[in-house]
Amino acid sequence: MQGLNRRFEVIVVGAGPAGLSAAYILAKKGFHVVLLERGRGVGSKQVFGGRVYSSLLERVFGSLGDAPIHRWVRRERLSIINGERMLTVEYISGGKYSFTTYLGQLASWMAGKAVEAGAIIVDEVRVDRILVEDNSVVGVESGGDTLKADVVVDAEGANRLLLEELGLVEKPRPSDMALGVKEVIKLGEEKIDERFGLRSGEGAAWILAGSVSAYTPGGGFIYTNKDSVSIGVVVSLESGGLVEEPYRLVESMRLNPLLKDIWREGDIIEYSAHLVPERSVRLIPSKLALNNFLVVGDAAGLLLNTGYTIRGVDYAAYSGYLAANAIVEAEEKYGSYSEEVLRRLYEERLKRSMVFRDIARHKAVEMIWENPTMIKQYAALLLDTLGGLYELGESTPSLRETFKNARRKNKVSLIRVMADLVHGVMKA
Amino acid sequence: MHIVVGVKWVPNTQAVRFDPHTGTLIREGVPSIVNPHDLHAVELALKLRERYGGRVTAVTMAPPGAVKGLEHIIGMGVDDAVLLSDRKYAGADTLATSYVIASAIKRMGDVDLIVFGQETIDSSTAHVPAQVASWLEAPYIYYVEEVEAIEDNRIRVRRRLEDLVEWYELEMPAVIAVLMHSQKPRPVRLIHKLRAVLEKPVETWSNEILRLDERCVGLKGSPTVVTKITWMPEVPRKQKIFKGEPKEAVNWLIRRLEEEKILPTCGADKCGEGD
Repeated sequence: MQGLNRRFEVIVVGAGPAGLSAAYILAKKGFHVVLLERGRGVGSKQVFGGRVYSSLLERVFGSLGDAPIHRWVRRERLSIINGERMLTVEYISGGKYSFTTYLGQLASWMAGKAVEAGAIIVDEVRVDRILVEDNSVVGVESGGDTLKADVVVDAEGANRLLLEELGLVEKPRPSDMALGVKEVIKLGEEKIDERFGLRSGEGAAWILAGSVSAYTPGGGFIYTNKDSVSIGVVVSLESGGLVEEPYRLVESMRLNPLLKDIWREGDIIEYSAHLVPERSVRLIPSKLALNNFLVVGDAAGLLLNTGYTIRGVDYAAYSGYLAANAIVEAEEKYGSYSEEVLRRLYEERLKRSMVFRDIARHKAVEMIWENPTMIKQYAALLLDTLGGLYELGESTPSLRETFKNARRKNKVSLIRVMADLVHGVMKA
Repeated sequence: MHIVVGVKWVPNTQAVRFDPHTGTLIREGVPSIVNPHDLHAVELALKLRERYGGRVTAVTMAPPGAVKGLEHIIGMGVDDAVLLSDRKYAGADTLATSYVIASAIKRMGDVDLIVFGQETIDSSTAHVPAQVASWLEAPYIYYVEEVEAIEDNRIRVRRRLEDLVEWYELEMPAVIAVLMHSQKPRPVRLIHKLRAVLEKPVETWSNEILRLDERCVGLKGSPTVVTKITWMPEVPRKQKIFKGEPKEAVNWLIRRLEEEKILPTCGADKCGEGD
């Protein structure tokens, strides 16, 4: 093994939003920090749906004025698709809460900030393991080379090989993970504005459930970028969830007769797939701090899927920010990065933050997740009811009649509807 | 020994798609990479340094973005690199390119061996090694799969052609082009890549430094004219699979090819009789 003369105070593993945010804050506070990334360039190994919430990101980076913001999301759509029928709810927002972007561009922007602040970013280097001596983390190992530091921040992402080896997490169970597959379709700015009913600079975020995503909640998504549309499907890896080749799922969404005209004449410019931690609460490592070691971002299980929105990038950035501040404070106040200090300054604060509380709170999706037939049944019930109201022949049935007929057809009792409704509202 | 390894910064042609309407390459959003065949040249150069000592310098003529590629190669263990970059060098064909590279090598002065990849994935001319050698009036050899010895200022190489192996001895300084797929390019290492980022051992030489006649570089120095680009439309594959004995399979294949009028009809059984 070959060591290196140069000593860093902090090694950050992984140049995603979490790692880059941590490196940025630490460098800004004058720490010697090196960030190791396995992919070529920053952001090259990352995939997300397409939307980022801005408020936490502003807390980390200050102004987002020069950030690669494609469109501020103004139109929120939620659809249920069942075969050839679709129900859509649209909410038009008055403010700027989230924006669409390419994650690679956002990561490059963050990297620019970090490097400007003095962080060293080294890409194309895969960290094989976290080095532990005498019960304390002392550095990392990569291809036989070792690099030591006072403290290591693990921002390795959803595929947590390093944490598995440290024994902080178990190998993911298929039921805890989902696979996200995504296509980016280039369409042109004007066509996007026209087809989504947007003004220049405004964006749409669209979550689809039902047959389009094999009845998994929050399954399908569509986001408008500047001149392209990101479409994708997230499916559970649990048996039965992944019944087709992943690319076929997004392909069948692209070819869906209800949707395909939106991206007519478009050109697919990108295809990607990524693991998505779905049941975040169960994916949180047993500890987020060890002696000289912190876990941030997706690796810490920080991703929220409520069924009507998916949130992860800003959580990741915020956890990196909290971790960096904890390191700064640990150094200043305690001169120690012991597990106890880091747990108090990072893990406990993170767990008290809104980010964490939100993840723990939103269980509704899990409930539906565990019972995919429920969403299927309700999708049919809802669409049959509306179909009865709108698809009129000679008679004009009342809402009550159509609902009753729909319930009969789908074998759902009124009592069950009431019970599920109450249950769902309580959990959400 | 000072070894120079020439590399090219190319669009990743595996990621480039064709616009069927205009017949042009869609290069948008396609990341550039170090020409993969050049990594075999880098590997051979590094092995020679391990055997004979000395220094390996990478050289490329490219826009400034190619620093990323040179850092990759330094990450593999190359000592330093020179980026030949000037707006005046843009639009160069192989002749103008080789002129700039050869001039840079002359400027380095102490070079014993120049190693290139066999060809590039974006143009596949394989011109540049021979042209550089010609400018330098140095001997050159292509398709080298191994260097067997370097002694008394001579290099003995083994080269592999399709159906034969040849051994050559060249006087140094010499230019060798390494057979594609003949080496196992080593991965980037943490310590080397860190050095690439921290010490930035990449020099950029513009024409202010090389002071070459502007009529001999870039577009002006390039006699090559691309008159037309055409492409083969994708052929839909029939994807038929035959399972069975080899003899039956051959007969089956011949019959299919006859049906497709690819082979003249003569009857498969009859054709097989000669065996």
